[in-house]
Parts: sequence; C-alpha cells; structure tokens
Amino acid sequence: MARYAMVLDTRRCVGCHSCTVACKVHNELPVDMIYNCVTTVGPTGVYPDLHMTHLPLLCMHCATSPCVDTCPTCASQQREDGVVFVDDKKCVGCQACIMACPYGARVMNHETGAVQKCDFCKDRVDAGLNPHCVNTCHQKARIFGDLDDETSEVHRLVHGEKAVRLLEELNTEPHAFYIY
Amino acid sequence: MSKLIDVEKEGVEIKKSACYFCHQNCGVLAYVKDGKVLQIEGDPEFPTNQGGLCCRGNVALQHLDHPTRINYPLKRVGKRGEGKWEQIPWDQAIREIGDRLLQIRTDHGAEAVATAGGTQRTDDWARRRFMNLFGSPNGFHNSHLCWIPTFMVETAIYGWCPFELDMGNSRCLVLWGQNPGAAGMPEMHHITEFQKKGMKVVVIDPRYSETAAKADLWLPLRPGSDLALALSWIHVIIYEGLYDVEFVNNCCEGFGELAEHVEPFSPEWAAPLTWLTPEQIRQGAYMYALNKPGNIQWGTSVDQIGKPAGSTMHARAILRAITGNLDVPGSDLLTGPSPDFITDEEMEANEWLPEEQKQKQIGADRFKLVTWPGYSRIAEETRKVWGKAPTAEWMCEAHPPSVFRSILTGKPYQVKALLVSATNPINSYGETKLVLDALKAVDFMVTCEYWMTPTAALSDYVLPIAGALERPTITSSYGCSDFLLASQRAIAPMYERRNDYNFWRDLGLATGQADKWPWETVEDAYFHRIAPLGYDVGTYDEFVERYRFHFPEREYAKYQRQGFATPSGKVELVSSVLKDLGYPSLPPYIGPTENEIDHPELAKDFPLVLTTGGGFMPYHHSEHFQIRDLRFLRHEPYMDINPTTAAELDIKDGDWVWIETKRGRIKQKANLTPGIHPRVVFTQRGWWYPERDIRDPDLAGALESNANILTSTADEDCDPYSGAWANRGLLCRVYKHDAELKEAH
Amino acid sequence: MLAVDFFFAGMGGGMLVLAGMIELFIGEARTSFLGNLLGPVFMGVGCGFLVLELGRPFQSWRVFMNPKAILTAGAWIMSLAMVAGLAYAAFGIDPRWFGSESFRWQQDQYPVRKLLSVVCVITGLVVATYPGVLLARHKGRPFWVGPGLIPLFLLSSLATGSAAHFLSGFLIAPEALSPVWASLPSLAGGLLFFQLVLWLGYIYVKRTGATAAEAASAQKWIDGEHAGSFRYGFLFAGTLLPLILLLQPLPALKAAGAVLVLLGGVVMRCLVVHSGRDRTWLPGEQKYRGRLPHGDEAFLKASWNR
Repeated sequence: MARYAMVLDTRRCVGCHSCTVACKVHNELPVDMIYNCVTTVGPTGVYPDLHMTHLPLLCMHCATSPCVDTCPTCASQQREDGVVFVDDKKCVGCQACIMACPYGARVMNHETGAVQKCDFCKDRVDAGLNPHCVNTCHQKARIFGDLDDETSEVHRLVHGEKAVRLLEELNTEPHAFYIY
Repeated sequence: MSKLIDVEKEGVEIKKSACYFCHQNCGVLAYVKDGKVLQIEGDPEFPTNQGGLCCRGNVALQHLDHPTRINYPLKRVGKRGEGKWEQIPWDQAIREIGDRLLQIRTDHGAEAVATAGGTQRTDDWARRRFMNLFGSPNGFHNSHLCWIPTFMVETAIYGWCPFELDMGNSRCLVLWGQNPGAAGMPEMHHITEFQKKGMKVVVIDPRYSETAAKADLWLPLRPGSDLALALSWIHVIIYEGLYDVEFVNNCCEGFGELAEHVEPFSPEWAAPLTWLTPEQIRQGAYMYALNKPGNIQWGTSVDQIGKPAGSTMHARAILRAITGNLDVPGSDLLTGPSPDFITDEEMEANEWLPEEQKQKQIGADRFKLVTWPGYSRIAEETRKVWGKAPTAEWMCEAHPPSVFRSILTGKPYQVKALLVSATNPINSYGETKLVLDALKAVDFMVTCEYWMTPTAALSDYVLPIAGALERPTITSSYGCSDFLLASQRAIAPMYERRNDYNFWRDLGLATGQADKWPWETVEDAYFHRIAPLGYDVGTYDEFVERYRFHFPEREYAKYQRQGFATPSGKVELVSSVLKDLGYPSLPPYIGPTENEIDHPELAKDFPLVLTTGGGFMPYHHSEHFQIRDLRFLRHEPYMDINPTTAAELDIKDGDWVWIETKRGRIKQKANLTPGIHPRVVFTQRGWWYPERDIRDPDLAGALESNANILTSTADEDCDPYSGAWANRGLLCRVYKHDAELKEAH
Repeated sequence: MLAVDFFFAGMGGGMLVLAGMIELFIGEARTSFLGNLLGPVFMGVGCGFLVLELGRPFQSWRVFMNPKAILTAGAWIMSLAMVAGLAYAAFGIDPRWFGSESFRWQQDQYPVRKLLSVVCVITGLVVATYPGVLLARHKGRPFWVGPGLIPLFLLSSLATGSAAHFLSGFLIAPEALSPVWASLPSLAGGLLFFQLVLWLGYIYVKRTGATAAEAASAQKWIDGEHAGSFRYGFLFAGTLLPLILLLQPLPALKAAGAVLVLLGGVVMRCLVVHSGRDRTWLPGEQKYRGRLPHGDEAFLKASWNR
C-alpha cells in the first residue's frame, strides 16, 4: 500500500504564494479560507549578513493524527495510503479537530457549518495526477509521492537530503518533509 | 473537492492558451465546454513554465468573468469623472471616435492625437500601424522605464540587444536589478536549475529580495548608483588584466580610449558612491569575469534611475564585450530579429508615416535615443546586417511626460486626444500629479480597458477589451526575438468585448485606412506572420495545436560571418552612433537624479534614499487589486524600512507611515526588515483601492499609496539619452502617520 | 461559549458525584431534591449550549458515532449520567405535589437507589473530569497540554457542585435532617484551597515549562492579557473571598460565598478556553496570519467578494 507524503524543498521555494492561490481556486474556497499558507522566516541577521527561508505549510497528513482521533462523528478519516480528509456529510462543525491540530491545518467554513482541509487532492491522486499545489509550483519546490516506493522522488529526497519535519517532537508523525 | 475534469467523458476541449498576465506568458491549458472555460492549469509541455502557474495565472477564471469587468462600450454622460455612463454599441463608439479623430486631424494635425500604453500586453504593432497610417508620431508606452533604452543603447554598441541568455551553458549570471523570484517565475526556475549545476549568481539589488536570498553574492548598492558600480567593474576588468584579449583585439573598437576613460573609476572611487566596500565591488567583478562564459541579465532598475540611465546602460554593455561574453555559447546571444517570420516592425507600416510627421514627434528634440532620430540611425545599421529593424512601437516613441506637458502648456503644440490602451497612467506613469492634470485637461480621451480604472473613470469613452483566454497570443520579446511562442484563444470574447487588435483595425477602417487592414481577425494577422516559416498548417490555430512554438537553429558567433551591425562592423566600446546623436561616446559619470553629494541641501530635508518600482506577488503593476483571492493575501501596501531607522523614527512594524519627496507624499504600512540598508526605504508600487469610490476626486484611492506621487519627470531629472525618469535613488523622508486612520480601505 | 458548556457540565457532574457519594456513604435524602435535579439539568444545559455552537446543530446526533473518540465516549456517558441523575432525583419528588400520599415506586428501593448512586458517582466523575482529559491531550495547545488540567477541572467541578448543592438547599431543604447540608460550605472551602494550590503550581510549572511556547502562554496569566481576570476574577473573587465567606457562621454569608465559587468556576473555564488560542505556532506563521485581513475591511464588502 502506498504512503503519500509531500516534500517541501525550502532551498527552492521563493515564497511566491502560487500554491496558496492554486489551492484556493481549485477547491473553490471562500475568500477567507486558506489551506496552504506560505510563511517567511526572516530576513534574519544584521544587514547585510542575512538569511531568509520560506515555509509552505499544509496539512501534514499525520500517521497518528490527533484530528482523526478526536472527531466524534467519524467525519475525519484517514485512508490506508495516509491521506487524511473530511467526509463533509458527517461533519457537524464542532471544531474539535481544529483545536486538536498542532499545525493549524483545518479551517471552519462558516457558510456550510463544517470543517475543511487539504486532502492532498485525493481524487486527482487516485487518477494518477499530482495535487494542484505541486503542479502549479514553478520552482518545483513541492514534490509529492509514495514514501514507501524506493524509486520515488520523495523517498530519494527524504532519505538522501537534509530533511526535517515541523513539530516532530509532538509525535504526530507528520508526512510533510522540509528540505533545507 | 478538487474537480477532476474527465476529458473524454464530458466532451471537453483542451485549448492551448496563454496566461498573458506578465511577459513570461506561461502556457495555459484551458478546458472548454460549450463555450465556457471550466478550468485552467499550467501547460506541462510549454517550454518556459513546464506546467507551473503563478498566483496571477491561477485566478484567470476570476479575471475572465469578474463582476466589475467592463463588458460593454461606455460613453460619458455628465462631467468627466462624474461616473455617469451610457452603454452604446461598439460600432457606434468606433464611428464617433473615428469622426472625432478625423476632426482633430483636420483642425490640428494628426500629431495632436497621441496613444498611451503600458507594458507589453497587447498587439502594439497594430496600434502603431493605425497611428502611422493616421499620420501621428506620438504613440508611447512606459517603454522608457522598461528595457527599451537598454535595448537601443546596446544595439547602438553591438548591433542588437543580446537579451537571449544562453544560461544552459553559463557559469555565472549577474542579475542586474532584477528579482525573478518575486515576479518572473519561469526565469527563476531556470536560474534555480542552473545554480544546482554550478552556475554562480550575483544579485545587484538594494533589497534582500527573494532572488538575493538564493544568490552566491548579493551587492546591496545605493539605489541609483549602478553607474559607479559598472564603471568600476570595467576598471577592475581592464586594470587587473581580466579582459578577453582576443575578443577585444579582434572585435572591439576603442579599447584604448575606454581604458583611459575608466582609469579614475577604481573600486575605491566607487565605494562611497555605491555604499559597497571595494572588496565587495571586486568580488562581483571577479565572479563575472572569471566564471566564463557568463551572463548579465537586464533588469528594469537601470532604466529607472533617471539621469545616469543611458550612461549606465552603455557602461554595463561594455562589460559583456570586454569579457568576450557576447554571442558565444553560455553567454548573452545576439540572436538578431527573426529572418524567418514577419516581425512586429514589418506589420507596423512605418514606411507610411510621412517624414514631416516624424519630425513632429514630441520629445525628439531633447531625447534622441528612443525617438525617430535615434531609431532611424540605429535601424539603418541593423537593416544593413540583419535586414530588419527593431520594433518601432516601443523603440521609437514620443516622450510621455513631454506629451502630458504639451496637453497642459501647448508646447510644442497641444495634443488634443489621448487613446489609452492597456495602461492606467494615473498609477503607472511618473509624476502622478502631472499625469492627472493632463488627463483631466485633454480634450478627448478614450480608454480601452478590462476595468473601470481611475484613468478609465476620467475618459470620454471606455471600450471593453478581451483578455488572455479570449485572444490568441504570440510571444516574441517585443518583436525582437528570433523565436516565437504561440497560443490560441480558449473562447471567443465574452459580452461585447473585442480584441485590442480589432479596436485599432476598426478605428482604421472608420478613418479611411480600409485597404491597409486585410486581416479581419487576429488569427488572420498572426497566420500572415507565421506563414513564411513554412510549417504545413492552414491556419494559425493549427500551428498552435500542432507546433506551438518556433525556435530556429542556434548559430553562435554570427559576427564571424557577418560582423556587428554597427558603422565599423565591430563592437563600438566608443560608440559612434551615440556620438552622432549628440551623446557622449563613452559613458561619463553622472550621479543619481537626487543624491546627497550633488544635492546636500535637499538631503538635509530628505535624508533617506527611496527605491520603488519593484514587482511583488500577487500583483502586477496596478492590476489584480480587485481579484478577491489575491487581495486577501496582501490587502494593504507595505514599505520596507530597516529596524534601526524605524526605531529612530518611533515606527513599529505595521504602523502607517508617510513617505515624502519634494513632489508629494503617500502612505503605506511599515515592514521592518534588516533586508535593506538603514538609509534606504522601498515602497510598493501600483496600489489603489478598487473597492472605493472611483469617481473624481477619490479615484478609488489612486493618490493615497501610489509610488508615482513621489517621482519626478522634469527634463532635468530625466536621462538625457532617452528621457527615462527615476523611480530609484530619489531622496525622501519617512514619518509616522499620526492622525487616526479611518478604516476606509 | 465553550467555557460556559464546560462550566455547566462540570458543575452538573460534580453535583451528581456528591449526591451519589452522600447517598452511598452517609444516607438517603441528605441532599436537596433541587440539587439532585439540577445536577442532570445543568448537564443538559451544558449540552444544549454545546449543540447550539455546532456548525450544524441539527446533525448533533452524529457525535455519538465514533466510539474511539473521547468526545463520543463523553457524550454517551453524559447521556447515561443525565438519565441516572434524573432517575435518582425522582426519588426526591414529594408525592404531595401531585396530590398523593405516597408513590409506591419510591418505597423499598434500597438496591435501586444504591445502584443509581453508584452510576451517578461514576458517570458524574467522568463528566467532571473528561473535559480536562480532552484538553490535556491537545499537543498543539501549549497551555493545555499535560496532565495538570485533569485534577484542576475535577476540583472545579466538585467545588462548584458543592456550592450549587448548598445553594439548592436554601430553596428546597433536604428531606432528612442532618449536618450534611451545613457541611457543604466547608467541603467547598477545602476544595477551593486545594484548587488554589494546584493552580499556583500549574502556572509555575508551565512558566518554567519544557517549551518556550508553554512558558509564553503561562506568562500571559502572570502579567499578560489573562493576568487581570486571573488575579481579580479567579484568585480574589473566585477563591480567596469565598474561602473567607464560606467559613463564616452566618448562612447568608456562606451563600454569598457559594455564589462566588460559581463565579470563580466560570472565570476559570473562560480563562482556560481563551488560553487555548495559543497554538504551537510554526515559524513565520504569526506574522503571516497577523497581516491577513481581520474581516471588517472595506474591500471584503465589495461586490467582487460576494
């Protein structure tokens, strides 16, 4: 069985926010909902010795996801391939998952009364395509694939380059890796 | 939640369109059914973007059918700027405009009609064609700020502009005042790939930009001091023996004179002018000269420094020549115009503009480089060698500030009509107050637009223009490249929008130019242009669907076969063409338009140095502020200021501040960042607030945070070669906005 | 609003525990009928608020669906608690209110009463404690994470429960004459004391805590945005003042103290819920979110924003 993961190559990311917009547009999100923030750390240092990094943030599709554990209605689910998603029909908008997520990945849709989040564009993935954020990135800074497939690009990057995960110490086993 | 469009099942057509929201013109696949675009995405097979699509490209569908798009021709009723319009049919609008223009021509001469454009977003050759046939020499764009003077200086020196960078084989790239990481995504991608393969990147930029953060060397010079840097690099390369002896001896004229000229311009001389250390200056020069072959990528910065601009372009151009980084593999290539397809210039009907009309071009008396005097001289040389000339609609234009002044002062004569297309002069032309006065005063103004911009709001007629997905597009670098990329329209124009080509054609037909416009549609005209390429296609669309682009075989070092398109046939380090036009044949040192050394009194009141004009996501000039998903990401203007300077001024991050120059002041929010020199500030460009009242006098806040309030286009502040005005290196002051700001925006 | 839910549910749970414990270890009818009734009623009120806060209140039945989730277990147990509590309270219904001499189903029900009491104690304890467990497991909320909130919520529930039982007794006195009701203020006072010690300890441990985020969140209680409410609302008005009042001989003063205990319970829950807004922020995230529109900007009302 596949285990999907996303690799964010911060050496390449220039913080253009294209993935944020592509995600919003293709998911037809209300204007104030963002699944996919891109933050900028820095410039840090004292002029002119500076450093700057951009961090695309997204749902980490954690292996032991607190959001799935906490959901009382079984709306939040995780597939065998690791994709965490919300079954909108079952969501009652209690926002327990929003509180549970350390990464702030979930957003409340006040119009529909339910919670939404990145689902790795699972319908596209099932059809053999990449998520929209991956396609739209000019810098090819987002790489998506099957971590268990040793021939995949994500596997190569995670095992071959300097890769970290955010808030790793919280032990949710996030599946987004940051190359630096 | 992400829709998956099943092409087979749902009867969906895929159109190979283009984004067209910036010059990169990324390829876009549009999924079309029953005349509606269902979805768009980047075209994975397009050579520049390879499937990528930036913020702007992604909102194409919101742009396409936005609730506030202009969809029908509008005629003003009531006072100018009052906001009262009557919707009229397109043909009626054209007829009335045509009649008015003919009347003006009869009463005041064709030269009393001027056209204004922005950056390249439309079929500008069609605009020029109309103007030439009409008899007016007064077409202009914001060309002076964007590449055109550089193109002409470099063409004067080496016979064409080497804008085609052979980065694949390059070992060093100098990004001279360009930030592709924030605004030119496909280019940034290529840079990233080549960096991985070992190419060194030098970024010359006062700001620690997105691109500077990825560079091997960042040179944060004083804004406007690029000339001192360029001259000192020439000095280092010559006096430390780093020049390409063979190329200089065989291919260059005037090396001895150049060497003498740059003798005083050492890094030690340049350091206090550039605010760099001599070590930094040398480091940059070494990196470029010793990692060969290398590229110098043009950036808008040098075009936008005002008085020193022309001289800086000359000095920068010399660097390629003395290092032999010209037309050889891995360097900057002199591809020349295309011999294979019909170029923009060949569609402009320049031969139809009478000589006496050419001489009436406003600004040509003072600024010769990008007007008929300079253009004719330079085109003469290019025709000898390449057989063709650069695009006139760009390289040969009236001086915009002089046209605005002529409206107000009547000198040299009064311009009576302004046809505006694909620009919002109130936001984008220098010295906003001058522009605003001129637009309000001009007798007759027509604006072709997507939106009711502040300029459109002051017009007599507003015509709805079709955007990217509703038009075919040929990308050929302002008509000066030897390649072309072709895209087709996804759908026919919606509502009563027309392609801008059709505006000019219809106007031509209404003013007696009927026999000169044989191509009814844009596709007809485009097919006419690509037909000589000899592809086995019957229509333009077929070319797009089957071939999509044309890249000729690359020939390096063409000069060995044909020489350089200059009077001497060599690279003229000492330029005879510039001399013919009355300019220095070697680049003299000129300080920035406003600076603390030449203007110490001014510097007392305005102690900080301003740079502006840089692009940033998700906007493009004054566009997209009303696209909700983009506006949400960045809904307020921010200026960059160093934290130590901010502390001195008691400014905290996020405070509203005034930025003021001699011309006026604007307000933006403070972004405290160490990524800028303590004595430099940067303001974002383009800001207006489309949600506000568009009518006069608010003009949707176009005067509130607009960087052009701060700039000057007075003759004495402009580049003597081209008349380009300064966005960078001006003197300013910054202080807190104490009054309570009502959240009106 | 979530704080109000916690308050009512917790208080109801505490009341159930008390009623059950007293029934089991001291004797029947020592607590006020009103108090016994208000236990499950307050739980119901808490649930009601919770349901109203859902994005889709009419779908609220779905919260019973995931047995693996603490919230679902809580929902089931709270339901059971309410039923058991109401059933137990029914034993206190005075037959004369319905014009009868007696109700047969109320007599000779020793095993049923004791069984119900046991159920009340267990379910009441769970209801009083599980919100604390829920919050304690939030890895991403630095002020909440860790076991400390569990006893704090339990203590608060028991304290407010005792206070509520005491106040109920003023309106409808317990059927059996005993010193139990009169001892409730002392019980509440003792619980307040323990609660105070635990709170001071909790803030101290968080402030010198394992992560910078925890320290920062605790700092807000010491001299930041929560300090005023914590000091004057909870420590003074909600703990010290009622402690003094509850130990006074005059019943009226004790009653005043009991009301302040309830106030303290509300303030505490509000402060805890507010503290949950501090998340384990990711690098650059606060600056990014801080610059996004707040929601009242003019451009958001334009036609092109729907």
